[in-house]
Amino acid sequence: MQDSKGGSPEESQTARQEESPSSNAPAILVEDYAGAIIMGVLAVITFINVIIRYFTSQSFAWTEEISIFLMILLTLVGASSAFVKNHHIAIEYFALRARPKTNRALMQFARFMGMLMFGSLAILSARLVWDDFRFDETTPAIGIPQWWYSIWMPLLSLVIFIRLSIQAWRAGKAS
Amino acid sequence: MIGTVLFGVFLVLMVLGVPIGVAMGLAAILAIGLANMDAMWFGLLAVPQNFYASVGKYPLLALPMFVLVGTIFERSGVAARLVNLMIAIFGRGPGMLPMVAIMVAMMLGGISGSGPATAAAVGGVMIAAMTRAGYKPEFSASVIGAASAIDILIPPSVALIIYSVLVPGASVPAMFAAGLFPGILFGLGLMVPAFLLSRRYRMGVSEHQEPKPPLGKSLREAAWGLAAPVLILGGMRAGLFTPTEAAVVAVFYGLFVGMVIYRTLTPRDLLQIFMEAAELSAVILTVVGLAGVFAYSLSTLGLIDPVTSAIVNSGLGEIGIILLLIVLLIIVGMFLDGISIFLIFVPLLMPIAQHFQWNLVWFGIFLTVLVAIGQFTPPMAVNLMVACRIAVVSMERTVFWVMWLLLAAFMVLLLLLVFPEIATWLPERLGY
Repeated sequence: MQDSKGGSPEESQTARQEESPSSNAPAILVEDYAGAIIMGVLAVITFINVIIRYFTSQSFAWTEEISIFLMILLTLVGASSAFVKNHHIAIEYFALRARPKTNRALMQFARFMGMLMFGSLAILSARLVWDDFRFDETTPAIGIPQWWYSIWMPLLSLVIFIRLSIQAWRAGKAS
Repeated sequence: MIGTVLFGVFLVLMVLGVPIGVAMGLAAILAIGLANMDAMWFGLLAVPQNFYASVGKYPLLALPMFVLVGTIFERSGVAARLVNLMIAIFGRGPGMLPMVAIMVAMMLGGISGSGPATAAAVGGVMIAAMTRAGYKPEFSASVIGAASAIDILIPPSVALIIYSVLVPGASVPAMFAAGLFPGILFGLGLMVPAFLLSRRYRMGVSEHQEPKPPLGKSLREAAWGLAAPVLILGGMRAGLFTPTEAAVVAVFYGLFVGMVIYRTLTPRDLLQIFMEAAELSAVILTVVGLAGVFAYSLSTLGLIDPVTSAIVNSGLGEIGIILLLIVLLIIVGMFLDGISIFLIFVPLLMPIAQHFQWNLVWFGIFLTVLVAIGQFTPPMAVNLMVACRIAVVSMERTVFWVMWLLLAAFMVLLLLLVFPEIATWLPERLGY
């Protein structure tokens, strides 16, 4: 987790440099701000929950629902940023030891596989959102329409798909 | 047949450098699709459902929170202050600095949950000082790489949270309690070769010329950092907090220490810390979500039972299977981080553990020790890589030193096999 984190960013930096020295990934993305805000909100909600429970010895069920939703949002938003920065956990042992041309091809292949994955996820989850919408599903704790939550999965999967497409396009043009 | 496709596609994609989560997700999609050719949408609607269900677990909220705690304390300068305190207590002399490095790595492990982060924090503070005192940089890198591997054992540990989410019946507090003594033992085990090697190769002879920080001041400064593990573990023990709440309390405590007491964190750092923690958590949670889809395909396609019975009836016996697991997981641990390993292997290994009626809490700690060993075994050790980068040495040159540290780690592993009580005593005593 947390663990190859410290190693992988730096490893992927080398990979990125080898791959395209010209195209510099943007330093900070919209997703990074969104992720930081979600992280902050999660911390504050949980903290408030602790304090309220401490003084009134009861907790809010709705915070649990919101927290879970925010965690899924965080996952997809951060995943998008990590795809752009090449921070996802991957075995780069062989790719880094391959010749530059092979390495570029492998990086491009990895992007296409990512697009395939999140493209599928976008389509499949959109189908689930349609069901939520059609059958007027509501959330258990707060009772708002379920699709308010579930709509974000296809949307953000699509964002990841687009981010990866742009990466692949740029890498393709650079080589 | 479908099982071969599932594992084959996953392995090939992974080796080609496709992110682990994507490799698992695509292999699962293919396998689910092949098994449900005649169903609506090929049964693939289970893919987003399982992604959602795997990430959307309330206990998992502890993960981003502990990642945030780790990021905050890593930046707050607590490592340097702990080093000062340890030197003030244990003094200067040949072989002392490597022991201080190990102790500080263990204490930081009690705050953060990530090995490479600890390797960076301790390495950044210690390696230059150790080189000045006459220790070989490759030796320092080996010691710090190994010491930071203990992190995933010492609570709070993100890997143990993941194990607990995957294994019903092994609660987060139980896993945390179980990791404590093996973690300490691991640290003590590493100190033996670190100290003896320093003496034997006459490293650190000029250490006593380095200034010795005053005890009172060091203690006052480091106390704020030392209080963090007490707050986290004590709060959980006293029943004040759930693991998630303990983490969030530590977040605000860390921000208070960093911004008000040490004044090392500025509001600008704060934004960066939250961004970093968000991305780090998301990277882990992405693997969690997609591994959930993989695990779903494993179980619904009925792939686990044949594998389990093949292994159980292979005639290896209990000891043989344990040896097999040791070899397998250390090799895998050289290439992959602990969390990915747990997500891939725990669903597969759980039926085997249940067949032999192994204590699941002990089994989790056993797996974690193996992963920890893999994380400082060259040539692909993530923690060692971070330490080597700071020390500016190649990993090949650490092999001689790491060998001895590995030997010590194996001794600890052997102890854990012979005396499982090292792990199970504390959680049982505490009634988890």
